[in-house]
Amino acid sequence: MSTKLLLPNRYKKLGWIILIPATLAGIILAYNEFAAAWLWAKVFAVATDGANEHYKYFSIDRANITNTVIGTLFIIGAMLVGFTKEKNEDEFIAELRLSSLLWAVCVSYLLLLIAFIFVYGSPFLDVMVYNMFTTLIIFITRFNYLMYKNSKTVADEK
Amino acid sequence: MKNNIRVERAIKGLTQEDLANKVSVSRQTINAMEANKYVPSTVLALKIARVFNKTVEEIFTLEKSD
Repeated sequence: MSTKLLLPNRYKKLGWIILIPATLAGIILAYNEFAAAWLWAKVFAVATDGANEHYKYFSIDRANITNTVIGTLFIIGAMLVGFTKEKNEDEFIAELRLSSLLWAVCVSYLLLLIAFIFVYGSPFLDVMVYNMFTTLIIFITRFNYLMYKNSKTVADEK
Repeated sequence: MKNNIRVERAIKGLTQEDLANKVSVSRQTINAMEANKYVPSTVLALKIARVFNKTVEEIFTLEKSD
């Protein structure tokens, strides 16, 4: 079975190399208000709000790009890890991947539902930040867990 | 769906790895089929039958629950 929309296996390693530091940086920055003081840059903003809090569209602005850099690296890394072929890609692995994706979307929305009901005020902003990444994180975790579990049962079998 | 891949494999003296290579899938896939945890695609079922020189029905059989 041909699996479309998947990159060749060699990109998986690159994905991990990007994803792991981006995750660590993200965790560190979560305790640092998501803004490293030295990471300011001129950006092209489709939408932003200036000092007077009015929305501006299609403007050049100065902004702290810590979120931008870490978020971009995380998403690129996670997509490379999640959407590359395995070394021994076949139909069974394709099914494991699809079922992991379904599982991830379900779990991620269940978590969001719980957060919707039980989190109020400013902490909900944190929920929104984390929720941007939960689907990919849960998907990668679930798929790798299933792959690990299957390789283990194979090792037991003679 | 049941299958007798393991039996046919033993008759031919093939390991899971050998069969996996012959039908170009991973060894996990053969293992999952033998453990009845995975129902193969029609293409893979036909390939496996061809390796054993049998028809698909001789290797895969429906169960009551199907």
